[in-house]
Amino acid sequence: MSIREIATDRRTFLKYVGFGALSVAAVGSLAGCGTRTELKASGAGSVKMPTFLASEGLTPDLKGTAEGVPSAFFNYPKNPVRSVKTPPLKGETFSAITNIFGPPPNGRDKNPAWQEIEKRLGGKLDITAVSADDFATKINTTLAGNDIPDMILDDGASIPDIIGFLQAKCQDLTKFLSGDAVKDYPNLAAIPSLYWEQTVRDGKIYALPIPRGGTAGLGFYNAKRYADVGVTDTSKIKDADEYLSIMKELTDAKANRWAFGSTSYGLATFFQLFGVPNQWREEKGKMTFQIETDEYLEAISFVAKAAKAGYIMPGSDGWTKSQMVNAFTNGQVAQIYDGLPGYFKADGYAVTVPDSAPFLPFAAGGGKPQANLDNIVFATTMIKKNDDASVKKLLGIANLLAAPFGTEEYLLINYGVEGADYTRDGNGNPVPTANALADTTVPWRYLTAPAPALYLPGHDDVIRKTHEAYAAMIPLGVANPAATLFSPTDASKGNTIRQPVSDATQDYISGRKTLDDVKAAIKAWKSAGGDAIRKEYEKALKA
Amino acid sequence: MGSTPVSTESTTVVRLGRQRARDYRARTRPVWMEKPSFAMQGLKGLVLLLVCVAVIYPFLVVIGTSLSTQQEIAANNGFVLIPMHPTLEAYRTILSGGIVTEALFRSIGITLVGTALSVTLTVMMAYGLSRRIMGGNFFLMTALLTMLFSPGIIPTFLVVKELGLLGTFAALILPTALSAFNLIIIRSFFMNVPSELVEAARLDGAGDIRILWNVMLPLSKAVIAVIGLFYAVGYWNMFFNAMLYVDSDKWPLAMVLRQYVLLGSSIDANTGAEIAAPSQAIQMAVVVISLVPILSVYPFLQKYFTKGVLTGAVKG
Repeated sequence: MSIREIATDRRTFLKYVGFGALSVAAVGSLAGCGTRTELKASGAGSVKMPTFLASEGLTPDLKGTAEGVPSAFFNYPKNPVRSVKTPPLKGETFSAITNIFGPPPNGRDKNPAWQEIEKRLGGKLDITAVSADDFATKINTTLAGNDIPDMILDDGASIPDIIGFLQAKCQDLTKFLSGDAVKDYPNLAAIPSLYWEQTVRDGKIYALPIPRGGTAGLGFYNAKRYADVGVTDTSKIKDADEYLSIMKELTDAKANRWAFGSTSYGLATFFQLFGVPNQWREEKGKMTFQIETDEYLEAISFVAKAAKAGYIMPGSDGWTKSQMVNAFTNGQVAQIYDGLPGYFKADGYAVTVPDSAPFLPFAAGGGKPQANLDNIVFATTMIKKNDDASVKKLLGIANLLAAPFGTEEYLLINYGVEGADYTRDGNGNPVPTANALADTTVPWRYLTAPAPALYLPGHDDVIRKTHEAYAAMIPLGVANPAATLFSPTDASKGNTIRQPVSDATQDYISGRKTLDDVKAAIKAWKSAGGDAIRKEYEKALKA
Repeated sequence: MGSTPVSTESTTVVRLGRQRARDYRARTRPVWMEKPSFAMQGLKGLVLLLVCVAVIYPFLVVIGTSLSTQQEIAANNGFVLIPMHPTLEAYRTILSGGIVTEALFRSIGITLVGTALSVTLTVMMAYGLSRRIMGGNFFLMTALLTMLFSPGIIPTFLVVKELGLLGTFAALILPTALSAFNLIIIRSFFMNVPSELVEAARLDGAGDIRILWNVMLPLSKAVIAVIGLFYAVGYWNMFFNAMLYVDSDKWPLAMVLRQYVLLGSSIDANTGAEIAAPSQAIQMAVVVISLVPILSVYPFLQKYFTKGVLTGAVKG
């Protein structure tokens, strides 16, 4: 698959960008070099998860669920509690490497928020952060220099022989966190098992989760335009034919209006509507990749039909994110595919496109509606091998960073220092100052984070809509059974052998190729390594 | 000795008469020296105008978009030539936090220091390699040849790390201080300077440093200006070394700009949703800020490109 088609699952997305050559060269000094043959199961069932201990003292306005629907709050508590009373460090300095999104923050010397967090840590954390696009190059050159930071982001793709790296250089955290051991770190214990399951590799807990919302959703639609054609709830659409007729009614090319437009045709939306597996499907120990299923062919045939009929804006498959946002904002397209986190922000779709709403799934191909659980964690954070005392200190750092919503630490990490970075309104909500952005973009929440809470002061309606969307989609969630498994073939050439299938799919939808060409590409994928990948995952499941 | 140059133009007129002189000149003059007709002048002007529009239009769109509101940008599919409701909000946003301003000053500092160092090293080494030495230049030229090929990201990173340069501004300057390609250009130029000039200077008692300073450099202003501009643009646009060698507190402007641009082009639904894409006005404002210093300096260097090399220094 091209990076554009597998946009829903971050780990898979990054795998498909293909940093293999540099990565293999860089970690050649480490075990494996991408040629690992020893496979072990790393499903969550192979190790005892940390005991879940819910945070106490805070009642959400809209309750979450154990399945993963986040709790929602309309206001921040006026008297937040301090969750970590004793600093975990005693003057030590540790290092970390992770992602950063957005402009760089003010340096430590000029950043009151950074200084206050380190005061509460009792020591320093030197963070090296680069954008997601540069992370593979940065991490592999850093590792090649044998200069391994204490906390290392694992985005699921930048280190090809992740098992070898974990075994050689990273700390097995099982004894520190499994079962009741996690009670030493109450904020980490408040993270539900759903997120801890993503940290299991090679049968051990090897990392800390960075929880996110669970599902990226099916994109957004313009509820006003849909209401104009008689649709007020997309989950009530009966089937693919009705959806196609709705798209027809939404399209008026002369008026510069189309039903749909997204980069690479936003295929993630249609995959979920047609029940295409979330990457892999596992049935009685047998693994099937999504492109091998009938649902996949149905989904892309539907998109091809819609494109041919002119319901998808011409040229939209080549859009950048900015172009897609502009087209949705100015009403050119009535529906786009983008991640659900993009809706629920102070400058997200909910605010910039007030008529927008999350697109709730219906079963276009019959059966049960589906939403992929493709945004469970942003990534995970590994800890370098060290003596027990240092590991405990690093877990203490993570414990502070995972302070849940409603605490002083959560307010500090996300909003900065009161006075310098925010003031409080009458309801106790933080109102950012002009300095806030420069002080709060230090990537603390890309090392570890608490279970997500929906909170957007002044936008109660947005909170409700988002909570409803999660409440509708999480119960329909379909996980990727290969998410925590390792396949050497997939790591070394998975992207390369999937690319022709992706290209053929895009060409077919654009009308340049036939469905037979897509089927031929899928067959070629099997012989080029697809069958080997399947066998390796099946072996990992049985181990 | 010496004689007053005789004008061939007046000689021709005297010998042939005015009209016949014009006809003679038309037959003997190259085509490009012919005075073009009015229509041809008009056509040339039109072509030049189109080229100017093609070059200037993107600049105007960038500036116009940076002064627009997000609603206007969205309504115009991302690019605004003339904003209906201009606003400096984008500039206020990016300059208020101080991040872009600091990055700008860092870039200026790195460019000035880096360019000065690079030009100095390149000129000195080029002069040394342009002189014949006993035993020939074979080994030196072989070493130079190897410098034409990049050793790769990781070997360079390891060298920078072992030298203790990681996290310092020196890591942004020293690894790229000397370009073998530019070195060869200047060396070739030095080798083409007439040897009589050098010999004349030696006879006057000048050593190599004096020859370089008083003879070579004055004659090489044009080529050194060009090489200096290459280095300056390279340092100004550098982001990859900044990403590899330093943390965000030392990022130059190009790296900060990259952060803004990457967010606007991210196509991963989850990564791209970690933070909303910055307004395109902000992206364009950062582009304008990064362009201004280079555009300000370039016109002052342009004149050196058309200056002559020799100015009649040989006498006798």
